[in-house]
Amino acid sequence: MEQAVNILFNGLSLSSIILLTSLGLAITFGVMRVINMAHGEFVMIGAYTTYVVQQVFTQFLPSAIGSLYYFVSIFAAFGVAFLLGSLLEKFVISRLYGREIDSLLATWGISLILQQAARSIFGTQGVNVNAPSFLSGGISFGDCTFSYNRVFIILLVSLCMVAVWFVMYKSNFGRQMRAVMQNRPMAQCMGINSRRVDNLTFAMGSGFAGVAGCSVALLGSIDSTVGQSYIVNSFMAVVLGGVGNLIGTVIGSGIIGISSIFTENYTSSTIAKAVVLLIVIVFLQKRPQGLFVIKSRNLD
Amino acid sequence: MRLLNLFLKHGSDTTFGIIVFILAIMPVLLAAGVLNGGSTILFLGKCISFAIVAIGIDLIWGYTGILSLGHGLYFGLGGYAMAMYLKLQATGGQITDFMHIGGLTELPLIWKPFLHAPGSLFLILIIPGLTAWLVGYFIFKNRVKGVYFSIISQALTWAACSIFIAMSPYTNGNVGITEIKSIFGSIKGSANQGNMFTLFYISLFALVLIYAISRFLVTRKFGKVLIAIRDGENRTYFSGYPVSRFKTFIYVVSAVFAGIAGAIFVNFNGCITPSQMTITYSIGMVIWVAIGGRGTIVGAVIGAFFINICEYNLSSGSTVEIWQYIIGILFCVTILFFKGGIVGLVQEKAPNFIAKIRDRKVKA
Repeated sequence: MEQAVNILFNGLSLSSIILLTSLGLAITFGVMRVINMAHGEFVMIGAYTTYVVQQVFTQFLPSAIGSLYYFVSIFAAFGVAFLLGSLLEKFVISRLYGREIDSLLATWGISLILQQAARSIFGTQGVNVNAPSFLSGGISFGDCTFSYNRVFIILLVSLCMVAVWFVMYKSNFGRQMRAVMQNRPMAQCMGINSRRVDNLTFAMGSGFAGVAGCSVALLGSIDSTVGQSYIVNSFMAVVLGGVGNLIGTVIGSGIIGISSIFTENYTSSTIAKAVVLLIVIVFLQKRPQGLFVIKSRNLD
Repeated sequence: MRLLNLFLKHGSDTTFGIIVFILAIMPVLLAAGVLNGGSTILFLGKCISFAIVAIGIDLIWGYTGILSLGHGLYFGLGGYAMAMYLKLQATGGQITDFMHIGGLTELPLIWKPFLHAPGSLFLILIIPGLTAWLVGYFIFKNRVKGVYFSIISQALTWAACSIFIAMSPYTNGNVGITEIKSIFGSIKGSANQGNMFTLFYISLFALVLIYAISRFLVTRKFGKVLIAIRDGENRTYFSGYPVSRFKTFIYVVSAVFAGIAGAIFVNFNGCITPSQMTITYSIGMVIWVAIGGRGTIVGAVIGAFFINICEYNLSSGSTVEIWQYIIGILFCVTILFFKGGIVGLVQEKAPNFIAKIRDRKVKA
């Protein structure tokens, strides 16, 4: 029983990290059909922003409010990644709509530049973020311990989900966004500024990558390749769930996360992740479009 | 004048001929004392292997439109197969030190086929080929295409690389298989220059052979079908071609090329590590092809040599930081503005340029 609860909790927490990193991808890849290989670097930017905010707080502010840096850093990470994402869309991505494979390659070039920039600024050594004091420790029920760290990440991802859902399905901007993605010329005829919608959508996807970076910073040291380790799983979660489907991404991340933790019981964690990915690849042979398919008779 | 006409008619073959000629005279120059330092030859040998894998990527990406982000996997498989044979040569068929540390007492079963040269050379071709066939057969039959294929190939490579790292009693984990000599014996130092030259010329021969095979494939009707698949996959289906079989075939061919390239690379490099199997390394190969010029075999060769020679000269000392920026920006700009890469640019500009020279000659 305890083991089952532990697996479930650890699986849930891994799933929520995968989900947090795939949320931005689900928007840029799923909705805009742009393959952003630099997404991992936006996670990295978010993590480094958290580090910088923490440094600023410890330098200039009294230690009593030191722990509060984390709340500031969540917004800072979102903001920085949002701005950089907007710039990236303006100068690079906007030239690549409809050229999926080229968008993949061009953003890989961007990711090389961003990684090197991180190395130039912060050095090749990893830096560490001290988890805020209210996140140390955990609650235990019987033999099961839930660390606050992981509970917090699960809460954060739920909050982000609600935010994305609200923006996409309840706000005016979300309505415009879905209109542009479904039928661009018609949306333009209705007076929607599609260039602006594209830009904000991409920036929003990048912003959520930044928030993901904020939570990744809690889990280990940050270096220039921190985003790379999450990107493969995130892409697979989006593809497994079915592209263009937010719920699909949630379930895709859940499956990958929980089954990774489950497999870990029998082997090492690296092999577990590899095996799960292989299983997902085999599964995608059965359903190439993912779990949730948007029905269409379109050939391409 | 005749030279110009030659360029106009057989531009890519002539260019390839010039590259091969320059490579072929390098060892002669070294022996004559014009150049010094055997490391140049070692480096050019690695470049030859990179050019071979680039040709393979060009076949599937430039011609057929399948972007694989995981060719490092096949490169690595070929490399590991070669390295396992060479390691067993170095230990005389005994189990290696890392197996000792890993707790193995006798040679594992998967190492046994690599005890003898013919079997190993056979496996260098078969292992990448069979893996690629297995992957390609199912993926292409189920019509997974475009970016979905790229994402799956990337996940596959990542998974394979993690498994290679995790199985350290068999593969020596992150360190990889080291302390091996080339297939012709040691190539380090001036005493072993003969071995190095033999290896170099054999690799060069392999490059020429693979170039010839690729040119043969793409200039026939087969090549036209590949281009048709790239430009309109569904139309090719409707015209009655078994698209998935064509794709699987060319994917296997390119994986075998990558395997051969990996085997050559190990000989010159003297070790193989899992880093050659990573996604970063695999996309690096795509960068060579993109900058050289996709859709022309010679473009892949030019790109592989150009980028690696630049990297060799720039990525040390004070310029190491700048190099990453340069390659990132170069790649971005190529994708955004020069789809044809270097070769595409030349093909676009050269005819006018040659015509101008010709006019001037006629007037004079």
